[in-house]
Amino acid sequence: MKTLTLLLLAASLDAQVTYNRLLNTAREPQNWLMYSGRYSGWRHSDLNQITRENAGKLKVKWVYQMPTTHLVETTPLVADGVMYFTEPPSNVVAVDVETGKQYWRYRRATPQKVNVCCGQVNRGVALLDDRVFVGTVDAHIVSLDAKTGAVLWDVEVADYTKGYSVTVAPLIVKDMVIVGIAGGEYGIRGFLDAYDAKTGKRRWRLWTIPGPGEKGNETWSGDSWKTGGGSTWVTGSFDPDQNLIIWGVGNPSPDWNGDKRLGDNLFSDSAIGVDADTGKMKWYFQHVPHDVHDWDSVQVPVLVDDEWQGQRRKLVYWAHRNSFYYVLDRESGKFLLGKPFAKQTWASGLDENGRPIRLPNIDPSPEGTYVWPGVQGSTNWYSPSYSPRTRYFYLSAWENRSVYRKGEQEYTPGNRFIGSVPMIDLPDEPGHGAIRALNPKTGERVWEYRLHTKPWAGVLSTAGDVVFGGSDEGYFFALDAHTGKELWRQNTGGMIRANPISFESKGKQVVAIAAGSSIFTYELGQ
Amino acid sequence: MPRHIIFLWAAALCAQDTEVRNPHTTAADVAQGAKTFRSHCSPCHGLNGEGGRGPNLSNGVFYHGSTDADLLRNISDGIAGSEMPGLFYSPDRVWQVVAYLRSLNAGSKPASKESIDAGARLFQSKGCAGCHRVNGEGGRSGPDLSEIGKTRSNEHLRQAMLEPDLDVRQRYWLVSATDAAGGSIIGHLMNEDTWSVQYIDSKGGLHSVSKAGLRGYKVEKRSTMPSYRGRVSDAELGQLIAYLSSLRPTGGSR
Repeated sequence: MKTLTLLLLAASLDAQVTYNRLLNTAREPQNWLMYSGRYSGWRHSDLNQITRENAGKLKVKWVYQMPTTHLVETTPLVADGVMYFTEPPSNVVAVDVETGKQYWRYRRATPQKVNVCCGQVNRGVALLDDRVFVGTVDAHIVSLDAKTGAVLWDVEVADYTKGYSVTVAPLIVKDMVIVGIAGGEYGIRGFLDAYDAKTGKRRWRLWTIPGPGEKGNETWSGDSWKTGGGSTWVTGSFDPDQNLIIWGVGNPSPDWNGDKRLGDNLFSDSAIGVDADTGKMKWYFQHVPHDVHDWDSVQVPVLVDDEWQGQRRKLVYWAHRNSFYYVLDRESGKFLLGKPFAKQTWASGLDENGRPIRLPNIDPSPEGTYVWPGVQGSTNWYSPSYSPRTRYFYLSAWENRSVYRKGEQEYTPGNRFIGSVPMIDLPDEPGHGAIRALNPKTGERVWEYRLHTKPWAGVLSTAGDVVFGGSDEGYFFALDAHTGKELWRQNTGGMIRANPISFESKGKQVVAIAAGSSIFTYELGQ
Repeated sequence: MPRHIIFLWAAALCAQDTEVRNPHTTAADVAQGAKTFRSHCSPCHGLNGEGGRGPNLSNGVFYHGSTDADLLRNISDGIAGSEMPGLFYSPDRVWQVVAYLRSLNAGSKPASKESIDAGARLFQSKGCAGCHRVNGEGGRSGPDLSEIGKTRSNEHLRQAMLEPDLDVRQRYWLVSATDAAGGSIIGHLMNEDTWSVQYIDSKGGLHSVSKAGLRGYKVEKRSTMPSYRGRVSDAELGQLIAYLSSLRPTGGSR
């Protein structure tokens, strides 16, 4: 009996990141257990030691430098004193949260030639029980022992030689690892997958581009659905009450020439609601029918339950690459509100169903067509944040335009299939960026913190009413969540292209972000 | 951006490159090639092939091979190790671009050594060297011209001397302000972020200042170079262009 008690005690002390803990992350703000911090996609920390009054005293705690020349887009996770993050292309590192000293490092040998459009990046790992899960640029999903980094299983998601890759941080739902795919610039046929966390066996696959006989296939002319794109490269959110995964789908292929894929091209550029057990689509909302500008729906869905016109409703808040901020009903996918949050010149507005009312002469042309927003959109994959205290929606926003050029292209497997070479940045018009707070009920801007350059970093809100963000200039900064006033900033010396998190070590609140090729951590000094 | 696409047909053509001739050289081909060039190539090579971020293509000098087959391959596949991406077009369309490129220097003849030498002397006597460096000699207020012949066409050089304000690179935009102590800040922009600016003054001094304490902070897209219209004769202008155009990278292609 005594032995049994000791065994039980040992098991409870040997902390496991159970699914139950993932469902209740709000009970343990000292950890950061999943990509967005919680299933609702808020990227909000309930820690409140760092406040508007004392944020000016933030000091570097430790720095971890990665031996890599690739862009670092990872969001670290923290569980029970250990931080787990990815090092591009597809390595994983576990370090002590107090010192930054390494416990283990999983190094993945990747093939010499992989097809990743925009850098061999990775956005982070997922945790369940005593396992770590990582996607790879050669389109595998790998399970590692959380204590040692030893490989438990390694499964091919898709054929990387055909342009498929995994850059997304996986999402754990129940006993499954949900994995999205990248490759929208290579004429892939996109999907969302669920794998058994213990065995790596695939439970289901939802094709984001429907095949013949499936609903939506009629929105693709000819055989264009076969190379229709529809990637799923940014981590979605999960609504346990409805057992519903909400995920964003990327651009149709080829990106900038839609002549051979006439129709709305479902379910590209859509938000989709997916039953977690069956992988069946419950609803969808397409932000950009027949996209020819590369405006993926690859933003983290922010799930909030709140009053909507007198009724309690389950909502999704979504600031899109196409410059519009949307509110959707989470039970039906129904459009409730849409309003631009940045300058755009492509739509006169949205109709009552949320379908854009396109302006003339906005499509790419051989001569080049100037359109706001630019190819990279008014926001992109980097995370927004929602604070239940201020009830504001925070995001990094861009103000710029591009020249959209149209070319011709035949599909060849594994090669770029984009239909053009757009001019993403105009030499004399660098544009600018900002951190913005929106009233999520109306889409109205509450405040803005203007930046000279366009930020590729996500934002974090905290219970100290501080919003953290970063810039391409290398600054990591803290803002007053109510007013946007700058409280603190530091030059990290490298471009920040990642999302911040917060956790606790030895009872002190810590904020962390990847900058340049390093992980920086900060805590309050004396 | 795409780096290179290997087309089998291009590889097949390379194998016999000495015999390959552009089959699309009519006036209509040149016109169509010009349109393709404008939409896909001009962002780096200039609207008329005069160069910019990428090399000048208008004088018949190509750094990665000058045969028709070389051009077809480099345009189709891109150039590994450079920023040059491949072009997603059928060979017929690429040949039209080659025809357009060939049209850019049709009828031009290389500058004489006398003309180049005369230009080199004018570069000193007309004061150009006060602001521009060539191979480590000269001022730093304007662009270093040691390799200007690679990236700029004769026409662009002519325009730059007659109308310097028309095309000014961001690196040479003019920064001006008054600091908190009332001191005057003036120089060329080297770098700028939300809170600070880095610039070089006319004496070559490097400065990094916080924007917070500045009054009347301005960044202007204009040149500090005077127009040389009327300051040099047409013949002298031609000699200066001959000299500048001869300034190319040494030690192989770059």
